[in-house]
Order: sequence, then structure tokens, then C-alpha cells
Amino acid sequence: MYILSEEEELQLKKVAFKIRKNVVRMIRVGNAGHVGGALSIAEILAGLYFKIMRVDPKNPGWRERDRLVLSAGHKCLALYAVLADRGFFDKALLDTYGSLNSRLPGHPNMHELPGIETNTGALGHGLSIAGGMALGLKMDGIGSKVYVIMGDGELAEGSNWEAAAATSHYKLDNLLLFVDRNTLQISGRTVDVMNYEPLDKRWESFGWSVREINGHDLQQIVENASRVPFEKGKPSVIIANTIKSKGLSFAEDKAEYHYWKVKEEELQIAEKDLAELERRIGQ
Amino acid sequence: MSDTRDPRKTFGEALVEAGERNSNIIAISADSSSGSGLTPFKERFPSRHLEFGIMEQGIIGFASGLATTGKIPFVVAIAPFVTARPFEMFRNDLGYMQQNVKVIGRCAGLTYSTLGPTHQSLEDTAIIRTIPGVAVVNPGDPVEIKKATHAIAAHVGPVYMKIGSPKMPVLYKEDYQFVLGKGVLMKEGRDVTIIGTGTVLSKAWVAAGFLEKDGIHARLINIHTIKPIDSDLIVKAAKETGKIVTVEEHYLTGGLGSAVAEVLALKHPCSMKMIGVDDQYASNGPYEELLALYGLHSEQIADTVKRFINHSDRLL
Repeated sequence: MYILSEEEELQLKKVAFKIRKNVVRMIRVGNAGHVGGALSIAEILAGLYFKIMRVDPKNPGWRERDRLVLSAGHKCLALYAVLADRGFFDKALLDTYGSLNSRLPGHPNMHELPGIETNTGALGHGLSIAGGMALGLKMDGIGSKVYVIMGDGELAEGSNWEAAAATSHYKLDNLLLFVDRNTLQISGRTVDVMNYEPLDKRWESFGWSVREINGHDLQQIVENASRVPFEKGKPSVIIANTIKSKGLSFAEDKAEYHYWKVKEEELQIAEKDLAELERRIGQ
Repeated sequence: MSDTRDPRKTFGEALVEAGERNSNIIAISADSSSGSGLTPFKERFPSRHLEFGIMEQGIIGFASGLATTGKIPFVVAIAPFVTARPFEMFRNDLGYMQQNVKVIGRCAGLTYSTLGPTHQSLEDTAIIRTIPGVAVVNPGDPVEIKKATHAIAAHVGPVYMKIGSPKMPVLYKEDYQFVLGKGVLMKEGRDVTIIGTGTVLSKAWVAAGFLEKDGIHARLINIHTIKPIDSDLIVKAAKETGKIVTVEEHYLTGGLGSAVAEVLALKHPCSMKMIGVDDQYASNGPYEELLALYGLHSEQIADTVKRFINHSDRLL
């Protein structure tokens, strides 16, 4: 188990801030984007890429790297931001989001950018692919881990539960899933659209080991993610309670900002919110 | 033609051979192992045989993930359940991600003749060949199944291969050279070209013999790889014989006939006739009788070709 020092936690807060800042930067140049889910996973990505995962930006195909599968591919603006910050590619690329033939499409393409592991976007695919990765690594005796981020709305896809059964059947304890429970999807509150409760019991009944955390608390993210597997022989899941569009005062916890079509006055508020965030972190 | 062999058993034996040569080859089953000819592979390489139960969406994703680690998964199950059902997984996780996975749809076409349309697969070629970068292979005899299995194992990239279930006549000698993407000229002829594929290639072969006896010199081409298709061979046949008839155990929509028509419409338009199942849910009953219902017996093919030749100057 890894406990962050105050200094380390501050550094990760700065990373999460940069993710938010760069997500807004991309949406500004592209005029629209999936902001809500990108901002709800900023801390999770900061903790994974800057403290937990073994990756080498200079050698993105390194066989023994840890892998991240962003099953909720629409949250990719946050992934682009963290990969750029981690040094996988030039940050100037972020300004091409939304342009013709951009290497940063609205759902990620592994053939276009180093560090992207899968072509996700259609929901309910990521956990099966990640399960295959985890199984292949185990078959070869490689100790790398596979991390997955899924949205809570995505849980309505039945294919996830096929994958939940198979990962458990094959005892893939080298796999950690984050369910980004921001409680909202396009049509409203996720539990009203299609109820998934009791979420912890569902995963437990499929043979998973479950933890629940505040998904914006870096200490909780790193503490839990650093002790995978939670139980030997079981895949691990962290139910991360988050706030959709976290950091943007006008958009937080509002379903209508699942996909943000930018208005100038909102951009101005966003800039003020980011400035205030930066001041608080002391950047 | 007197020698016939079981296609699934033939495939299973070839996969064991391929597995001996390359330890990255693994087999993935969706509660479909014994019926897919995988028993010898399972016995020879128990740790490389992965059972997933009836999970046809999940297995495509798992195969994709396994391929990212260097494995070469062969996903083998009943044809519609690894094509139509998980189409989006096939498109995104294998096609778009360009993963080195081989999907084998067995008991394709009308094989499950008595079980009805849920288990028959008459659209697999049509839907899978829309996915960029996926090869579609439809071997026409047991020797070709064996050679194709080795060829797709060596080919880097996603492949869909379909095989039937009833015993298939042997058309090729053991030294036959299979080249992915290259059609095979099986019989010369100048009056008309018959293009066959897969399970009914042998029917087309016999039909060409009947025609020869009646003084009609039909060329016969085997298009075992429907994608990428051998355009050169098809265009050459169109130029030299002027008339093309396609024969397949598949819907007329989107299959071999459509693929050939796409080539000819752009490169050398000519009179065409397509033999296969038209726009309907197929019936059920004994396999050979079902083939006859859709004009796929050798005598019927020969008859259709004759009528086509006699009337091909005008629209039929």
C-alpha cells in the first residue's frame, strides 16, 4: 500500500489541474466535446499515470508495461491531456482536436497516438479487451497490470457482465477496474435511466473484490490502486464516486454537460473557474 | 470426387499442426469446442485452449486483448454467433484495432439445415467483408481448408474463415498451393465463366463437367478469398468469356456474387448471373434437399448456366 506524502499529493493535484485545463483547451479549439466524463476522471488518471502505472513514454510498446483501457472512450480528452503531460507526445497536438484528420478524434485511436492501447468508444467493449490482455500477460508470466475505466451509465451494456464473469472465472487478479460513478448519463440520473444498484453487491456476486472511494481524493485513489489485487485470485474494482464536469461551476453534476457545445460566456466562466482552482492549489 | 472428408475435423487437425509450429497460437471456444473440431488441439495443448462458455460477444473482445500480448487467437464457433451477433466487436476490436485474430465460423451457410434460420448463416460474408482490413476466406475442399488454416495462421491481421459441416469432396491434390487473395483457375473454357466458392465449389465443378459433355466450354474459377478479391483473374475471365455466373451458399445480397459484380461494374461490365439464396429466411429440412431448393445442385447450376448463355444478350 502506498501513502502519498503531502508534497506528492500536491504534485498530483497539479497534474489533475493540468488535465482539466487541457480538456477545456481542447474543447475551446474544437468547439465541443465530452467534458463531463473527462473531468470526473481527472484525479484517477493523474494517480494512475504519475504514481501507479509502469509506463515508458519513450517506449510505448514496452512488453512489460502496465496498460490502461479507457472503456468509456468518450472520456478521451482527459486521456489525451494526461498522456501529453506524461510525455507520450507533444502538447501542441492538443490544439489539433476537432480539426480535419486530427490524431485526437472524439474517441481514441491507438494507431494515431502513442500511449493509446485500444480503440474504444462503443460502450461495453473495454472490459473484455482488458480481460484478454490480463489473461495473455498471465499466460506469459508477465507481472504487468491492466487498468480499466468504465462509466456507470455504461454498466447497462450486457457485454460488461460477460466480461465480469470471464475475468473472475480466469482469476485475473492483475486487473483493476474503476467504475466512474458520476451518477449521470445523457438522459439523466443513471439509476433512473437503468438502475444498477446495489452496485457493490453486483460486482461481489460476480466474484470481484470491491472497494468504494471518493474518486476525486488522490490519497484514496493511490492507496487503493497500489494494493491490487485486493484479494488474491480475484479481479479488483474500485467504485469511484465522482462529480460529472468536476471543476466547472456552471456544469458540475448536470447531465446536459455530458457533451458540451461551447458558448463564449461559458468559456469565460470556465477560465475563471480554472484560475480559481489554480490559485487554490498554489500553482 | 469419391474421397470426402469432414471439414471441421480437417480444420482441427490443421490447427494442431499450426499450433506445433507456432506456440503463440491459441484456441478460444464458446461452448463449441468439440463441434468445432478443437478436441485434438485441446488434448495436445490444454493450456492453450480457452473455454468461455456461451459468450460470443465477450470472446471477440478477449481475443483482441490476447492478441495485443502476442497471442494468435483462433476463435471457433457456430458461424452466425461469431459474425452477426458480435458484429460490433468484430468491427471495432478486431477490424479497427487490426488485431491478429482468426475467427472461424463453422457450420456456415445452410449446414444447420434442419435447425432453421437462427442457426444458418447466409449473411456472414456480406457483413464481415464491409470491415476494412479483414480478410474473408471460404475454402472449397478439405485440402484447401488445411492449406488455408496454415495461410491465415501465418498472415498477420484479422481474418474471417468459414467452413461447413457435411463431408466435402476432395478436389485438390495434397501439393496444391494456396495463396491468400489469389483465385484458382480450375478449368479452362471460353464460353462462360463459373465462379464458385466454399461448400458449393464441388457442385460448380461437377456442373462444369456436365456442360462440357453438352459442348459448352465453361471456365471454372475458385474464389476462396472473397476479400481481398482477385480482381485480375475475374476481369480476365470477363474479357475472355464475356459471361459470368457466381455460385455460393449465401445470400445473393453482399456475398461472392456481389463482390464479383462490384469488380466488374467498375472494371469490365458484362452479363452476370448469381446463384444463391435470394432475399428470404431459408427453409429447413435435409441439407441436400435445401441446396436443391435454392438451385445449388450441379444439374441445376448447369441448367441455369445454359439458360443464361442462351439469353444473356437480353436481361433475364
